[in-house]
Amino acid sequence: MNTLSPSQLADRESIAEAANPLGLDGIEFIEYSTTRPQALGQVLEMMGFRPIARHRSREVLLYRQGAINVIVNAHLPAAPDAGAAAPEGKPVLAAVALRVRDAAAAYRRALDRGAWAVPSRVEVMELNIPAIHGVGTSRIYFVDRHDKFSIYDVDFVPIPGVDPQPPAIAGLHFFGVVQYIGNDRTEDWTEFYRELFGFSELPAEQRFGILPKGRILQSPCPPASRFYIQLIEPEAGVLDVEDDEALQRIGLGTADVLATVAELGKRGVEFVESRGVHTEDRGALTKTWLGGVSFELVHDERR
Amino acid sequence: MSHYSGNIDDFGMDTISLAGPLEAKLQAVRDAGFTQIMLAAKDLVGHPDGLDAAVAAVRASGLRVTGFQVLRDFEGLSGHLHDYKVDIAKSMLEMCHLLGCRLLLICSSTSVHATGETQALVRDLRKLAMLAIPMNIRIAYEALSWGRTVNEFPQAWDIISQADMPNLGLGFDSFHMFATNTPLDEVELLDPAKIFLVQLADFMWTEIKSVEERIATARHFRVFPGEGVHSEALAALVARLHSLGYRGDYSFEVFNDDYQQLPLPTVAQRAWRSALWLGEDVLRRSVPLPNQIRLKRRIGR
Repeated sequence: MNTLSPSQLADRESIAEAANPLGLDGIEFIEYSTTRPQALGQVLEMMGFRPIARHRSREVLLYRQGAINVIVNAHLPAAPDAGAAAPEGKPVLAAVALRVRDAAAAYRRALDRGAWAVPSRVEVMELNIPAIHGVGTSRIYFVDRHDKFSIYDVDFVPIPGVDPQPPAIAGLHFFGVVQYIGNDRTEDWTEFYRELFGFSELPAEQRFGILPKGRILQSPCPPASRFYIQLIEPEAGVLDVEDDEALQRIGLGTADVLATVAELGKRGVEFVESRGVHTEDRGALTKTWLGGVSFELVHDERR
Repeated sequence: MSHYSGNIDDFGMDTISLAGPLEAKLQAVRDAGFTQIMLAAKDLVGHPDGLDAAVAAVRASGLRVTGFQVLRDFEGLSGHLHDYKVDIAKSMLEMCHLLGCRLLLICSSTSVHATGETQALVRDLRKLAMLAIPMNIRIAYEALSWGRTVNEFPQAWDIISQADMPNLGLGFDSFHMFATNTPLDEVELLDPAKIFLVQLADFMWTEIKSVEERIATARHFRVFPGEGVHSEALAALVARLHSLGYRGDYSFEVFNDDYQQLPLPTVAQRAWRSALWLGEDVLRRSVPLPNQIRLKRRIGR
């Protein structure tokens, strides 16, 4: 028992790092970029979101239900590399904004560890929200949100006569993001999220919802704001999609999937019913709109 | 293809062996029968019509890009030197990405301004690997035999193991191993899945006496495997790597001033003979191996 030197003992477990190094506390918003903002807006409204504010200088709308914020960005970027929207008008999940304890510190820490900075293009009197490059053309923003101040107060103008806090349908809340990755890329992306944000890998038998493929990473957030990233490689043998990596869809949590499906169904939302995927207690998957937008419902008792 | 085509698709040439413009190099390598080529940054940026034209030429050639070289003197720096090198690394990664190339080669640092402290080297290589992850690029770290701190592959392997990044592995260069007389048995240390590239070269001297001579030999007097006096050792090395389980690419890292003034097809044919010798005589392949289909990256990515 006493043959190990102190240095060997120290190396045995890597517990030096705090479990939640950035003070990560959930998703502040997700952002779609699209050349068809009205069509996407209709989809979001069908899903229970309400447009509540407009950006002061760009063609950007903020949708909300409950604590879920969705930004629809139809502002065409000047720089050619910034165009996240696909040419055919298919909306793209362009960004995820993470709530952190200190956005500037989180940003610096990420850059120190090898993240790519996204150059900001703010107009005067707008917030400079730090961002790094994520998968594909997507970005990851760092937002430190305080109770009495929200980022939306600065950059957005409320839409008159609209409830700024529309309730969520059936308690919907952010549950996670599904990311499609290339062949043999699971370890790379696991390391990316572990090193930069403190995500940890869930054991293979721990799965949520009805689409259990791939690897699930758990955010280090406190339980109330915890969310997940699901990494999915192509089907074995499908070699020609190797390069296609992107945020694919978001997952919304609900305590009662079937009731939520019924409620959304009344609003016109259709769900996938096939041999492989169908609505059940554990979860459901909406059909795909506009060539690429779908939502997954996941049974989650939190709210 | 007019040539007798052996089962040697995992052997490739390096543009540094050839004189002339990029398009001529690509053509010569392709005509000789090779399916892949190792490119250097100066192949792209030195193209008379610019970077985009160079990338288009590479894609049009149909050759797979084995890897992209080379990032030098990266690890162990601090302060503004570190920031400067990170910027250089990002530019290299961006060029590599433009090519649709999956591998960036980095040589161990020779800089007297760099620390040799292991933790710093590990941290910097982790950072480089992290920069490469979103672009789907792997980093191959090579022990340059005149590297200041890391100059033999077991040292590079130790740093790689400590860095423990999925996309960080070893770039193995036979020249440097022979130059430092590193025992072949050390190869047994390696995890074959973490050897990302093997570069092969022979040379004409039986012994290299000084570091200066080592550098001069490395940069001017290498020859293709089988052409020098280390053929037996090269054969033993390739056989050992194969039995260890290595199934990645072999690239001929042959810097040679004479080859720089020979017609490109002549040099490419010498390389082809070398590949045939290794594939047919050393590894004794006869039929295509199963699961060795190598798909070219799609054009227009």
